[in-house]
Amino acid sequence: MDKRTRAFQNSKKKGKLPLSIEQLKKSIKDQLHDEADLIFKKINVQNKNILVFYISYLIDKKRLDENLFTPLIYGDKDWTVEKLLAGLPLGESKEHQTVEDVCTKLISGSIGIYIESENKIVSYSILNNQQRPIEKPERESIVIGPQAAFSESIETNLNLVRSSVRSNDLVAEKFTIGSRLPTEVRLLYLKSLANDDDVQTMRQRLTDLKVDDIEDGSVLAQYVEDSSISVFPQFYLTERVDRFSYGISKGKVCVLADGSPEGIVAPTTFFGFFESTEDVYFRWNVATFFRMLRFIAMFISFILTPIYVAGVTFHYEVIPTNLLMTLGESRSKVPFPPVMEVLFLELIIELLREAGARLPTKVGQTIGIVGGIVLGQAAVEAGLTSNVLIIVIAMSALASFTAPSYLMGTAIRVIRYPLIIIAGLFGIIGVTFGLCLLIIHLLRMTSLGRPYFLPVYPFVYQDLDNALFRLPFGVSNKRSIAYRLKDDTRYKEKKSAKQKDIDDFGGYNEH
Amino acid sequence: MNINVAIKPGLRIRAFYLFFIIANIQTGTGIMGVSSYIYKEAKQDAWLSILIAGVFVHIIIFIMFIILNKYENTDIFGIQTDLFGKWISRILGTVFIIYLFASLLTVLINYIQVVQVFLFPLLSPWLLTILLLLIVSYSVLGGLRVAVGVSFIFFLLSIWLVLFLYKPITLMDLGHFKPLLEASPKELLLGAKATSYSFLGLEILFFIYPFIDNKKRAQLPTQLGIAMTTSLILLVTVTSIGFFGGERLEQTIWPVLILYKSIEYAVVERFDIIVVSQWMMVITPIMILLVWMITYGMKRLYSFSQKKTLYIVLFLLLIGGGTIKEQFTIQLIIDYVAKVGFWIAFIYPLVLFPLVLIKKKIEKKKEGYN
Repeated sequence: MDKRTRAFQNSKKKGKLPLSIEQLKKSIKDQLHDEADLIFKKINVQNKNILVFYISYLIDKKRLDENLFTPLIYGDKDWTVEKLLAGLPLGESKEHQTVEDVCTKLISGSIGIYIESENKIVSYSILNNQQRPIEKPERESIVIGPQAAFSESIETNLNLVRSSVRSNDLVAEKFTIGSRLPTEVRLLYLKSLANDDDVQTMRQRLTDLKVDDIEDGSVLAQYVEDSSISVFPQFYLTERVDRFSYGISKGKVCVLADGSPEGIVAPTTFFGFFESTEDVYFRWNVATFFRMLRFIAMFISFILTPIYVAGVTFHYEVIPTNLLMTLGESRSKVPFPPVMEVLFLELIIELLREAGARLPTKVGQTIGIVGGIVLGQAAVEAGLTSNVLIIVIAMSALASFTAPSYLMGTAIRVIRYPLIIIAGLFGIIGVTFGLCLLIIHLLRMTSLGRPYFLPVYPFVYQDLDNALFRLPFGVSNKRSIAYRLKDDTRYKEKKSAKQKDIDDFGGYNEH
Repeated sequence: MNINVAIKPGLRIRAFYLFFIIANIQTGTGIMGVSSYIYKEAKQDAWLSILIAGVFVHIIIFIMFIILNKYENTDIFGIQTDLFGKWISRILGTVFIIYLFASLLTVLINYIQVVQVFLFPLLSPWLLTILLLLIVSYSVLGGLRVAVGVSFIFFLLSIWLVLFLYKPITLMDLGHFKPLLEASPKELLLGAKATSYSFLGLEILFFIYPFIDNKKRAQLPTQLGIAMTTSLILLVTVTSIGFFGGERLEQTIWPVLILYKSIEYAVVERFDIIVVSQWMMVITPIMILLVWMITYGMKRLYSFSQKKTLYIVLFLLLIGGGTIKEQFTIQLIIDYVAKVGFWIAFIYPLVLFPLVLIKKKIEKKKEGYN
């Protein structure tokens, strides 16, 4: 047994109350490994020694002075534990029997008060929480609709969610995950709506999770996901408060972790990742158009470059003569096979993206210009790539950024590479092969035990709206049926009156 | 072996998928060459032969449902055990499985040959076999629900090919159908028999039936699936006869693919290449469903683990797909499968039908005595 553990165990033995002031001081110091900012303040009121102790950078000093020292000293009472608990103008109080207990509170921003020879220590939480203000979402920006993003503090996040889901139905179960560095995790759902099985599955996964610490909400999502092999995200991670509350109001099971600006929404379908909350704020027909656009974009993003490779490498006969001539002309200077050419350019685009994401914003813009204009033009002039390919690559890169979920966009970009390589090996047969495998993979996946490819397979035609397209609110009055929520009707369908003929309508309001 | 099978609710599938399963498993390899087969027998009245065959298959499906509905929740193996006892039913079941494997092999080698003719004359059949088997094994490992999902989605993803037949349809010469109704009844029936290879696959009903959730509504989608197949074969045959005319059609091995060759757009010059590659989505569900049937059958007959059967089947397919190359051999195997399939898929249910009825009547009488 080394020195430190022995010291720790000794301190444990010494930790039994009541103690003298000096003994307590030593015991706390031992426990907190001589923390330099640990402050002890001994005061004497009516011949009673009272010790106040705290870590100075964790607490709100103004409240300490106003709400603790002032009443404690000037109140001039005969202080006891009960009076401390009742008579101080501070909210969150706790009694503790042992020194260890108090120390765990101290490091999370509490002050301890001990009256000599009493057998309890009182603690008050006056945490000075350093947090950034609520900002606009950076990664998932939309044009219209609420513009609040989660921050790193779970209290703020819960506050935001509670204020947008105003219902006493909202349950926020608390879990503590991490054996070495515990993190507070909250499981949120609507009691009258969410499917009990889903809630139970998520609860089970959270309680079964035995790790030493979780770094972030996205890490937590990876721990509790269904399949860790797949490149596709199975839970929707969002920093948008409205997206999160939208999930809750649709009966989904949502998770927040302390210290993370990412909320987890589960279960999610593959098509859900192409759904933006903006679709709800837009008019239904416009929203449908944009959702379709995103699906097409996704398809273009992973199919266009492989098709180019297959076509130019093996199947010239498919390409129309005019286009073939242009292609041949621009490719005549390029010394590599099309696969190399495509991989080279894709790599440049990916490097630009990665560099742009890492660099400060101002330098990032320069990188964009350098990449877009200089490299593209220069690469063609140097005979490294063809003109046509630049357009193809730019289009597929652009398309991959339209996915509202950043994780899904990344997944699509990653699966493009194996497709390009297999297209270079087997031509168009390889592309179909890749697509087949991809679809089968998506069919096999689950999210929180629910099929990932809902509502297409298993086919639920009632759920097609809101997944593939949107209908007017008057028509789509149902929640997802496949998820078997407790209540799948959002509101009673308006009983349309008798079918009106052309001139039965009221006409304009003319005054 | 238990006659009736208990299937967990999580493994069951809804009845309407039967439409896609049936339409998918029947349409694929056969349809590529069926028109020239029928034409050889019934000449320009081939369309009538197809209608006769279609009606016949509808009746068979009807009979199959009567047989299956006599039992609580069973498949072909349960019925055979009930009728013939343990040992004979095992032999019959094994014959069934060997036949399924043979038809699986024809799907594979036929597609490999199509790819070699249209796309890559020098591509090694081993490589292509490995690609296809990867797809098959990955989805069969996911179980029946994934297999059904694949057939559902791939059907939706490849049905658009039919729309592009409009081009050859506009180029048809209706004179090729004259003189009308020239074929003798015998020729018509022979023509109907020639379609048998394209209608094969309906025996999946005997396997998949216990897995169906709402059995009362199973008949309609199945019959519609048959109607879908019939109309597709009809469409393809009529178009090929009208487009090619008699002599050219008889010399063509895959008339359908040649039909697509006539399509030309400003963006795509050779449409048939896209069709051949897209055809992978047409044949993989067939292979997946057949492999699933084999693995499930082995499990029912010999309690053999499905995974082990899968690997053995894949290994045999790899050897078959890699080594069988000559057009002549392939045609021979296909003809053979078509002949055996005719008896197993179409005649066998007709044999089972009276036997099941008699057996059930005897059982009822016995109960009455007791």
